[in-house]
Amino acid sequence: MLKITYFGNTTFLLEAGENSVLLNPGKWDGAPIVPDDIDVRLIIATNHLDDALGNATAIASHSKAWILGNEETIEKAKSQGGKPWLLHVLKTEEPYEIPGFKVTAHPLTRVDPETGEKVENLGLHIEMGKMRVSYLGDSMVRGPFAQLEADILVVPISGEGVFPVKDAVSLCIDASPKIGVAMRWSSEEQTVKFSKYVEQFAQGCTPLVMKPNQTLTTEWSAGYEFKFTLS
Amino acid sequence: MSEEKRVVIDLEESEKTQIGELSETLSTDVAGVLSVNNVSEKSRIWNVRVLLGDSREKTNISEDTLNAGEIEAGGKWEYEYTVEAEEPLLAVKEIFDTCGEIPTEEPHWAYSHGKTNPVKITITLKNESEGKMDEIVLNKTIPKDITDISLDSVSVGEADYDDGTRQIVWKGFEIYPHEEATLVIKGNASVESTDVTNAGEIVVTYRVEEIQRSSLDPDMTALTEFLTGVDTAETRPNHWECTLECSNESDLIVRIDKAEVYLAPEEGGEKVKKIDETPRVELKPGEEWSTSFEVDSKSPPKVTQEVIYTPVRTVTKRVIGRVEKTPQSVPVYKITYTKEFDPPEVSSFDKTPVEVNIEVKNAGTARLNDITVVDNLPDDVMPPKREHITIWVAGQEYTGEYELTIEPDDQNPETPHTLTFKLKDLKNSVGELEPGQSIKINYAIMAWRSRPEKEYPSPIACSANIYPAGLDTEAASPEDGHKIGIIYKKRRIIAKKAINRGNNPGEYVVMLSVENRGEVTVENIMVSDWIPQGFEFVSCDPADEAPRLDPVDDGTNMVWTWPRMNPDDKKKLNVTVKGEGEYERREPEVTSD
Repeated sequence: MLKITYFGNTTFLLEAGENSVLLNPGKWDGAPIVPDDIDVRLIIATNHLDDALGNATAIASHSKAWILGNEETIEKAKSQGGKPWLLHVLKTEEPYEIPGFKVTAHPLTRVDPETGEKVENLGLHIEMGKMRVSYLGDSMVRGPFAQLEADILVVPISGEGVFPVKDAVSLCIDASPKIGVAMRWSSEEQTVKFSKYVEQFAQGCTPLVMKPNQTLTTEWSAGYEFKFTLS
Repeated sequence: MSEEKRVVIDLEESEKTQIGELSETLSTDVAGVLSVNNVSEKSRIWNVRVLLGDSREKTNISEDTLNAGEIEAGGKWEYEYTVEAEEPLLAVKEIFDTCGEIPTEEPHWAYSHGKTNPVKITITLKNESEGKMDEIVLNKTIPKDITDISLDSVSVGEADYDDGTRQIVWKGFEIYPHEEATLVIKGNASVESTDVTNAGEIVVTYRVEEIQRSSLDPDMTALTEFLTGVDTAETRPNHWECTLECSNESDLIVRIDKAEVYLAPEEGGEKVKKIDETPRVELKPGEEWSTSFEVDSKSPPKVTQEVIYTPVRTVTKRVIGRVEKTPQSVPVYKITYTKEFDPPEVSSFDKTPVEVNIEVKNAGTARLNDITVVDNLPDDVMPPKREHITIWVAGQEYTGEYELTIEPDDQNPETPHTLTFKLKDLKNSVGELEPGQSIKINYAIMAWRSRPEKEYPSPIACSANIYPAGLDTEAASPEDGHKIGIIYKKRRIIAKKAINRGNNPGEYVVMLSVENRGEVTVENIMVSDWIPQGFEFVSCDPADEAPRLDPVDDGTNMVWTWPRMNPDDKKKLNVTVKGEGEYERREPEVTSD
C-alpha cells in the first residue's frame, strides 16, 4: 500500500511501510510548503531551484533524512549547510535503492523562472509500496516517461516553464497510468481541463486533482486489483 | 283600391365587431335606431307614444314609454339606443398557416427566414343567427410578402383577387342559419427581414333581416284623423236609440281599442255606463264602426262617450353587421451560429486538446422549439465522449433529454466523425428559445498529430424550427469551413555517433546520441545503425533499450524504435560490439513521423 499526501505546488509525501519520501519541499515566495520539523526518511529535489529544494536542508537536519538530487542540487544543499553524510547525488538512469524503495532519475529539463534558461530537472520513476510512480517534478519535457510503466503519474500542468495541460494529458494518454495526478497549476481552469481531458481521452486513467493535505491511498486488492481512496 | 297603410316602427340595429389576431372576439358594439315612420300621405299622427314595456333588457333605454309627439304625414321620428352583446351574429375565423404543405393540428405561425413559405389562408364565416344572412362582402388584404396568390377553393359565391389593390373580395352569397361558408387562399411568402410582419386585415359586412340584437318589442298609441259621436234618435215616444259612431278619416288603418258611452240620468245622479266595449276592430281609411243602446227618457238623453283608438302599426327589424379582424402578427424564425476552437491553432505532429464552442442564436422574432446541430470533425481528431459534452439553453446548463449521435460511434482519431445534436420539444422541457436567446454547446476534441501539409475543415450545419414544426430555418458553414489551424513546427532530430575501443580485445563501444532538437514532438522514431560484418552485438546500455537486430548482406543493422520524443528529449545509447579488424563507420539513420 502506498500513501501519497499532497502539500501543494509540486510537494508530495510518499509513505509505504517504514519508508517515507518527501518530493520537492519547495519554497514559494519565500515560504516553505512543509514545516522544517516534518519527519521523513528521504527527500528528493528534482532541481536546485527554490521551488524544488526549498527547506530540504532544514528538514533533513531535523529528521536526519537523506537529500537526493542531481549534482547541482546537492551542491546547493551543501551551500545551505546540509550535512554531507545526508546528501546523495542521484545519477541519471542509475537506480538508487534501499529496502522497500527504488528510484531511477531521468534527465529532463525545466525553465528557470528568473533567468528563463533551461535547467536540468530530474524525472523520477519510483517503486515503493508495490506501486510504480512516475513523478515529473517541474519538467517541461517528458523524456522516457511515456515508455515507463507506471501506476501513478504525477505531472505539472501550469505551462509556466513546465508542462502545459495539453502535454500533461498527452503523457497520460501515452503512459497509460491508472491515475494521473495534476500538480503545480496556476488556475482552477487548468485543473478542470486536465480532469476533463484525461477522463475523456486517456482511456483507463483516472484524473486526480488533490487538495493540500489530502491523502491518496493506493493498493493492490487481492494482489491484482488496483484500488485507491482519496481522503 | 286604397293601400292599407300602417305606421311603421322600425328597429335597425348595427353591430360592429373587432376580432383579434387569432379571431377571438375583442369587442362587439351594437347600436340601434328605433324609428316611427308615418307612412300616411295626408294624415298627421299625434300624441304618439312608443310602448316598450319590459322588453328594454340589455338596452340603455330607461323609460318604458317613449313620447314621439306629433309626426307629419310622411315624417319620421327616431330614437337611438345601444344594446349589450358579447358575440356578433357572424363568426369570422381566419387560419393563417405559414406552411400549409405540412398538415398539423395547429397552424404554423411564423415564416422561416430564407425559405419560400407555402402560405395557406382559410377563412370561415358562420351565421350564428336564426335568420338568413345576405349582402355579405368580405375584403381580405394580402400583404406584400405573399406572392403567387391563388384562390384554392370557394364554397359559395365569387371571390376575386385584385393584384393592384392586393385585395381579395368575396361576395354574392347568402348563409343560412347556423351554416358556414369557406374561402381558401394560397400563396408563397418570402421575407428578407426578421421583423414581425402581418397577415393582412379582414373586413366583412353583412345584413340579416327580421333579426334583432335587442329584445325590444315595441307597440304604439297615437291619434289621427278619426271622428266619433253619439246619435240619439227617438224611435217611439220617450224611447231613444243612442248610437256611437266612429269614422276613420285618415288614410291609415286605425284600430278601436275601447268604446264607452255614459248616460246622465234624467233625475240626476251618477252617470251610467251604457256601452263598454273593446272591439279591437281595425278600420280601413273611410270605414265606419258603430254601436248603440236604447233608453227611455222624456227628454233627449244626455250621453257622453270615450273612444280609444290608435293608428295600427307594424314592426320591421334588421341587423347590419361589420366585423374587422386585426391583422395577425407573423414573426420570422432565423438562427445564426458561431463555432470557435480554443486554441484556434494547434502544433503540427502534436496531441492537443481543443475546446469546441458552438453557439446557435435565435436571431429572429419567433420562439424556437427544435434545434439541430450537425458538426463534422475531420480525421486526425479524437472526438468527445457524450458524457463530456455540455449544453446550455438560454444561459442555463441543460440537463434535459436530447438526442446525440456520434457517427461512427468511437474515438478513433484516424477517421472523420459527425456529431448530431437534436434538442427537440424545448416547449415541454425548459421552454422555447426566445428571440435573442441562444444555445451553447461545448466539448473537447483532441487534435491528434495533425500534419502541416493537410487541411482540417470542420463544417457545421444548424437548423431550427418552431412548434408546430414547419420548414427548417438553416445556417451552415461552407463545406470547407472552420478549419483547425495547424502551426507548422519544424522537426529536427539529430543522431550523433562515436566509436571507442572497449575494455577487452576486439571490443568496441558505439556511443549513439539521438536528440529531438525540433520544435515539436515527433513520434514513431526509428534509429538504425550498422554493425560491420565480422562484428557482433554484445550488449546495450541501458539494457532495456536493446535494439532489434536485422541481419543484412554486409553485417547487421541495429534498430531502435521509440513511439515519441518531445522537444529537447535526448536518448544516449552505449552499444558494445565485438569482432575482428577495424570497425568501419557508417552514419546512423533516423526516421520519424
